Amino acid sequence: MAATFLAFGAAVREAGLSPGWALLACWGIYGMPGQLVLVQAAATGWAGGIGAAVMGAVAVNARFLPMAVSLTPVLSARRRRALLPAVPFIAVTPWAAAMRALPAVDRPARVSWFIGFGLTSWVVAGAASLSGFYVAGALGADARAALLFVNPLYYALLLAADLDRPAPRRAVLCGAAAASLAFVLPASIALLAAGLAGGTVAFLLGRGHDGR
Amino acid sequence: MTAADLALALTALACLGLRLAGVWLAGGLTSEHPAIAWATAVAQATLAAFVTLAIVAPAGALAEVPLAARLAGLAVGIAACLAMHRRMLPALMAGLAAMVVVRALL
Repeated sequence: MAATFLAFGAAVREAGLSPGWALLACWGIYGMPGQLVLVQAAATGWAGGIGAAVMGAVAVNARFLPMAVSLTPVLSARRRRALLPAVPFIAVTPWAAAMRALPAVDRPARVSWFIGFGLTSWVVAGAASLSGFYVAGALGADARAALLFVNPLYYALLLAADLDRPAPRRAVLCGAAAASLAFVLPASIALLAAGLAGGTVAFLLGRGHDGR
Repeated sequence: MTAADLALALTALACLGLRLAGVWLAGGLTSEHPAIAWATAVAQATLAAFVTLAIVAPAGALAEVPLAARLAGLAVGIAACLAMHRRMLPALMAGLAAMVVVRALL
């Protein structure tokens, strides 16, 4: 996780944004794919308007919804309201750790465990992205390009590792194919359109497959 | 407020909304619900499209790296990932090294 935030800091610098923006993006959005979509849009000067960039960033982070749905019963708080302080920390790393570790934790201690883990990974993420921002300033062009390649490559590997399960395989292949919409649509809208079209086609293919 | 700040604020709010909606819907929805399956598929497809564009048609300093070097990094990274039982960090390092080496050779 720290490597992706380090590379994010470098990408923020590359896009001409401030270190404060990098830190607030880490803590406010706390979902790397969405953060990357925004930085990419900033690097192209918000060519398609901020609306398309924001919707692309939200679409790429739409997994927060299913994550929250599956995490809530595991946290087993007696009242929903007790979960509110935990909500901002629902993100890939704390979610994966919680789904693994929480079943072995006493029920009353689970929300505090999750908040503690979430806060720690927030601090690490913020520190890593600030380091990335400042380190990128000291690097030559070649090393900077390698650092900027970290996030695309890391997420490509994560997606590739998912290819042996049918539902992610459909979504990944449809999304990658739909990326060719970038040749006919303006760059700003292409990502959102590719995600919605590819995801919906994959979803419908899956429904058809299950229905047979 | 600059465009970047506004985009950040809107995205942060929307992401918080997604998380809150998930917490509130939990119990009423199972993780096999079609809406959940759709949200997951859209998120994965958007990420796949983003990664494809970032590798094939990047902007900035990465665009100076030849396409062949980027694709070599991707291929070696995936091969290493599969060979090393999906351990991400070594696979990432192998992919980056391949990109740097191919770039230097070209």
